[in-house]
Amino acid sequence: MINKKSLQWIAWVLILPVLLLRGFTTIYPIFKTVVNSFYDIRILSGVHEFAGISNYLNIFKDQKVLTTLEFTGIFVVVSMLFHVVLGVALALILNMKFRGRRFLRTIVLIPWAMPAVVIGMAGKWAFNNDYGLINDLIRRFVPSFELSWLIDTSTARAAVIALDLWKDLPFFAILVLSGLQFISSDIYEAAKVDGANGIKSFLYITLPLITRNVLTLCIPFTLWRLTGFDLVYSMTSGGPGEDTSLIAYRITMEAFTNLNVGYAAALAVLLFLVMAVFSWFNMRFMSRFED
Amino acid sequence: MKKKLVSGLLVMAMTGSLLAGCGNGGSDGGSSAASSDSGSTEAASDDGAAAETEAASDDGAAETGSKDGSYDLTLYTINSTDEDFPDWLANVEGATGLKINVIAAPTDSDTRQQKITTILSTGDASVDILEINDEMSASFKNSGWLEGLNDTVMTEDIRGEFPQGYVADMITDKNGQIIGVPGYSGYLAFWVNQQILDEVGITSLDTKEDFMKYLETASGDGRYGYGGSWEKTYVFNEIAQFVNMFGGDYLDWTNPANREAMEFIHEMVEKGYTPIDQIADKYEQMNPKFNDGKYGSLFMWGLGTDYDKAGMLGADKIHMAMVPQLSDQKYIFTDSWSYVLNTASQNKDAAIKFLQYMASEEGMKASYEAFDRYPARKDVAAKVVPDTDPAKEMYSRYANECVVKGRPMLPQTMEFISAMGTIFQSYVKDEITLDEFCAKAQEYVETYNN
Repeated sequence: MINKKSLQWIAWVLILPVLLLRGFTTIYPIFKTVVNSFYDIRILSGVHEFAGISNYLNIFKDQKVLTTLEFTGIFVVVSMLFHVVLGVALALILNMKFRGRRFLRTIVLIPWAMPAVVIGMAGKWAFNNDYGLINDLIRRFVPSFELSWLIDTSTARAAVIALDLWKDLPFFAILVLSGLQFISSDIYEAAKVDGANGIKSFLYITLPLITRNVLTLCIPFTLWRLTGFDLVYSMTSGGPGEDTSLIAYRITMEAFTNLNVGYAAALAVLLFLVMAVFSWFNMRFMSRFED
Repeated sequence: MKKKLVSGLLVMAMTGSLLAGCGNGGSDGGSSAASSDSGSTEAASDDGAAAETEAASDDGAAETGSKDGSYDLTLYTINSTDEDFPDWLANVEGATGLKINVIAAPTDSDTRQQKITTILSTGDASVDILEINDEMSASFKNSGWLEGLNDTVMTEDIRGEFPQGYVADMITDKNGQIIGVPGYSGYLAFWVNQQILDEVGITSLDTKEDFMKYLETASGDGRYGYGGSWEKTYVFNEIAQFVNMFGGDYLDWTNPANREAMEFIHEMVEKGYTPIDQIADKYEQMNPKFNDGKYGSLFMWGLGTDYDKAGMLGADKIHMAMVPQLSDQKYIFTDSWSYVLNTASQNKDAAIKFLQYMASEEGMKASYEAFDRYPARKDVAAKVVPDTDPAKEMYSRYANECVVKGRPMLPQTMEFISAMGTIFQSYVKDEITLDEFCAKAQEYVETYNN
C-alpha cells in the first residue's frame, strides 16, 4: 500500500517549474515595486535614496495625480454605469428574434476586436471640429454646430468615455447575452399566461436571473477601466492639461517618460491596493447576494 | 512502479525542457543583448511604427549587438519609414563596409522617448547608435549613457563647421565632451500662406505692426492669421519662440518680456486671430489646416514636406519667410537630431566608423539627398545644397539676420515641457491669470532644473 502523502513531492516537483517562472515574472516584480515605492529614484537626476513614505505622501499633494484620480473615478463609475445599462439593453436587443440577428451579433463586436491604441488615434480625429466624423454627422442635422470636443475638460472627458463605451460595450453585451440565453422560454410563457407584460417579465424574470451574471462581469470590466491606459495615451495624451489622465497613464508617464521610478512605484502600489479592495468588496457583495 | 517511472520521466522531461529554454543564458553578452533587443523590437511595434520596419524582424533583432552575429551594428532610427531609406542605407553600408541592423523608432514622440530612455538607462547593449532630438539630448547628455566623441568623431578639424551655439548648448556634456553628431540643421521657421497675403494685400511681415495687421486682416470666417499646435507637449516650441521674439528668457519668468509675449499670445486668442481649438492639435492636425488655408502663418520645423505632398509648397502658396521682429532683434531657434553612441555598445569600433561617415561630407550629402535634411556642416551645405533649393536662401538669411539659439531645455525635459504646456493651456483658456502662470512657470523652472 503506497502512502499518498509520501508521493506529494512528485506533484510539487511537477509544478515547480511553473512556480519558479511565476515567481520570477510576477512575485518578484511586485515585491520590487513595493520596495521601490519607499525610495526616491529619479534616474535622470541620478538620485537613488531611501525616502520612507514620502512618495505616498506626495501623491496627495500632487495636483496632477489628484486630477488623475478624479478622472479615473469618474471614468470608472460613469463608464461602468453605461456598460451595465446600455450593455443589458443591447443584449436584450440581440436576444430578440429578427431578420439579420446573426449579422448584427457579428458586426457589433468589431470595435472590441480593434486595438485600443488604434481606436484612440482614430478618436482624436473623430472628435476634431474641422475634420471629425462626429461633428460632420451632427452638422447634417444642426448645420451651425461647432464644438472642439477635446479642448474643454467636460467634453474631452465625455469623448474619452464615449469612445471607451463604443469599444467595449458590445463585448459586455455579448457576455450578458450568453446569460440571457440560459433563461428558459418556458418561464416567459408561464408568466405570459399569468398576465405578465414585457416590462414585468423583464423586471421579475430577466433582471433577477441575469443580475449575478452582470455583477460577475462588472469585476473584470471595472478592473480593466482602472488599468486603462492606451485609449487616453493615443487619443488625448491626458489633455487638456491633465484632465483626461487616468491613473495607469500617469504611472507610465512617471515611470518611463519622467523616469521618477520610486514615485511611479508608489502610484502602482496605490492602484494595486484600490483594485484589491474593490475585488474584495465585490466578492463579499456577491456572496451576500447569493445568500 | 510503472507510475513512478512515468512520473520520474515526466519530471526529467519538464526540467530538461525548461533548462533547454535557458540553455544559452550563461554565455557572452550577445545572448543578453538578444533578449533585450527583442523586447525593444516588440515594444516599438506598439504604436505601429514597427509595422514598416523591415530590418527589425524578430530573428534579426535576436542577432543584434552580437559581435559574432550577422550585423556589425544596430541603428535605432526615425527615418526608416522614409521611402528613400533603403537607398540611404545601401549608401552608408557601401561607404563604410558595415552591415547595419535597423530598428524603427516609434513615430509618436512620447513613445519614442520612453523606448530610448529605457534602452539607455538600462544599459541595453542591443542598440549601438541612436538618433535623439534636443529634448533627449538635454536629458541624457550628463547621464553618462552616451559616449564622448571629441577624440574620435567630432574632432577639431570638423568641429568648427557645425553650428557652434547649438553644439555648445545642446550636445556638449558637463565635461566638455560632444556626445552627438548633428544629423542636420533645422530652424523653427516662419511659414506663411502667400495666397492669403496677396488676398489681404500685405507685402511685408517684418515688424510687429506688419504682423499684427496680417493677423487682423487674415482672420475671420473660420480662418486665422496664425495657427499652431498647442497640445501640451508640443506648445513648448511656440511659447519659447514668442518669448524669444519678445527678447525674453524662457528660464526666467520674472522677465517682463516673457509676460509681454504671453499677453500677446492671449490677445491673439481673445481677438480671434488664432483658434483655441489648437489646444488638442499636434503637427498632424495643424499641417492639414495650414494646407487647407485655415491659417495664414505658423512656426514649423523642416523643409515643408507636408506642404509639398499636398501640392501647397511654393513661392505663390506656402513658403518660408523671415521671422517678424517683435523686439530689438529677430530671433529664431535651431534644432537637430543627433546620432549618438550608446555607452553600453559592444560594437564601438563599427559605431565610430558609422558616426565618422555621418559627420563627413559624403554622409551629410547622402542624408540631404535621401531625407531632405539640410546639412549641419556649413562647409558641406555650401557645397552640396544647390542654389535652386529655396531653403538655402532662407536658411542663410536666418543664419545671417537672426539671433540663432538652441531651445531652452532642462534636464527633466519632458516633465518640464508637459508641465509648462498644461499651465499654458489653462492660461489661454482663462482658467488662471497671467500672474499665476508666471509664478507657476518660475516654480517649474526651479523644480525641473535639479
